[in-house]
Amino acid sequence: MNILENIKMALDSIWSNKMRSFLTMLGIIIGISSVIAVVSLGQGGQMIITGEFEKIGTNTVTIDVNDDKAEDSDYITYEDVNQLKEKIEYIRYATPIVQVAGQASTSSKTKTAIIVGGSSDIFQVENSEIMFGRFFNDIEYEEGKAVAVVDSTTAKNLFGMEDVTGMTMDVGPKTGQRTVTVIGVVKSEYDIFADMADEDYIPAVVYMPATTVSHIFSLDETTSRVIFMADSNENIESAGNLAKNLLENRHGNRGRDVYKAENVMKQLEQINTVISIFTTFVAAVAAISLIVGGVGVMNIMLVSVTERTREIGIRKAIGARTGHILFQFLTESVIISSIGGILGLILGIAGAYGIGKLAGITPHVSPGTVIIAILFSSAVGIFFGIYPARKAAMLDPIEALRYE
Amino acid sequence: MTPMILTENITKVYKNGSIQLAALNGISLQVAPGEFVAVMGPSGCGKSTLMNILGCLDKMTSGRYILNGKDVSTLDGNELARIRNKEIGFIFQSFNLLPRMTILENVELPMVYAGVPSKERRERALEALEKVGLADRIKHRPNEISGGQRQRVAIARAIVNNPSIILADEPTGNLDTKATVEIMKIIQKLNDDGATILMVTHEPDVANFARRIIRMRDGSITDDYPVENRTVL
Repeated sequence: MNILENIKMALDSIWSNKMRSFLTMLGIIIGISSVIAVVSLGQGGQMIITGEFEKIGTNTVTIDVNDDKAEDSDYITYEDVNQLKEKIEYIRYATPIVQVAGQASTSSKTKTAIIVGGSSDIFQVENSEIMFGRFFNDIEYEEGKAVAVVDSTTAKNLFGMEDVTGMTMDVGPKTGQRTVTVIGVVKSEYDIFADMADEDYIPAVVYMPATTVSHIFSLDETTSRVIFMADSNENIESAGNLAKNLLENRHGNRGRDVYKAENVMKQLEQINTVISIFTTFVAAVAAISLIVGGVGVMNIMLVSVTERTREIGIRKAIGARTGHILFQFLTESVIISSIGGILGLILGIAGAYGIGKLAGITPHVSPGTVIIAILFSSAVGIFFGIYPARKAAMLDPIEALRYE
Repeated sequence: MTPMILTENITKVYKNGSIQLAALNGISLQVAPGEFVAVMGPSGCGKSTLMNILGCLDKMTSGRYILNGKDVSTLDGNELARIRNKEIGFIFQSFNLLPRMTILENVELPMVYAGVPSKERRERALEALEKVGLADRIKHRPNEISGGQRQRVAIARAIVNNPSIILADEPTGNLDTKATVEIMKIIQKLNDDGATILMVTHEPDVANFARRIIRMRDGSITDDYPVENRTVL
């Protein structure tokens, strides 16, 4: 008696009760497909977030000034940033980040603008991709030249075209704007939103030397935020500590805990942990339906055993041993739930892509998920099939033969 | 010659709560190889119980049963299943074929449990179906053939593992006269070729096909004699 014979026998029996077998499978199908869909979407979401973080660069460290504790003299000067880069060997790029809201206008259009000031390193730490022209350089930063880099969405919205290098626009607060020359266009970070939202609601994004921003907006040459990039993953922590030390020395505020260094990887880990917990929780709820499906399998197998009592008696009379009968019925329940598992897998993946399309998430179906789904559905078949199969195997042949 | 069946003082007592019912009161019986024995008696005389015990389907309460030189009185369920598979061929009144399987598959089934490879199974099943004259209907299912043909399939299934004994429980009970004659002819032929056969029947005409008749009453053997003027086809 080999396994192929058993499988053939089980398939014959399932096929001869098509409707009933399918309805039994449905419980498993629903259970497996919902678990697969939830897990795939959860993993897809995690990958999108990880991707976003990696775009920023996993080696970047943000130093923030704690506004609640800081006095005016504690804010980081542009010279501090130069010193960080010069004195700490682990730091490759460093830039102040000065972000102000203002207006940007061309001859035809005026828009609210987010004006981001930094050193020439800002494009490295933000991992910007140049489309036209160039980034601003060290000299333009030092000298506070009236140059700007815009993103492609802004270029389109303000000028009606993408390649706007060499063109001029007015940037600044509502009153007292200055004319700057656009020297480069970077790829927009917000391309996905650009299609969805009304362009009027998307602010213009303008990158300029921090010195120029300070000048136009009449600000001190200080910032509450510095972003730098460490030369390697291992040095992130020491670079952060060294930077804090250096700033505290230069400002003489040691012990007041004014500066906070944070690596994006840490935030990423936290976010991923939250998503994992959430995914696991929803998947666990979905898995309960699998148990319900398993009970359905057990129910139908018990009916099947009763219906086939005489068959079991005949098989025993002509020499089937306990193990033969046990294995026959177990194979049947495992096949029902495995087919259910495979159909559920297909449905779950299709569902994940369907929902993902609506939600803008590309689901991630990992081989591990697929293998676990199939193994788990077989396990459900074994677990819920063992009782009916044992019941069949233990039947007394004489009683079974007499059964009408 | 060693007997094919040797029983010593077999008893069977059914217990139902405090009530005890003795179905067999010490059956001692010998059947030599090649014999064809008909067991007769009124219903409730214990002949079915005896057949179940001789067929290793049921356990006796006391006594000894030696089948083909092997003591099977103390074997457990799975060992008995093995004996049923290898040493015993059953023919039932209601045929007991599996309705979803084809005739060929029904005949192959005992060999499936014996672990015979599929090619050999097919050959031997066809050979057995040839012996009962049904080699041309192997793809049909049991409900597509007549009662007499179904019983012939059952006979093919009973002989396919070359058992030591064939146990027939009212093999013609559900058949008309014509089919009865056909079936008895096949059974007699098997016996002529050397098979040992034990057949339960309550019809004297059918018993007359056998070579020896055992009569039972109230769980005991009351008579045991050779058949004179045997019906031979």
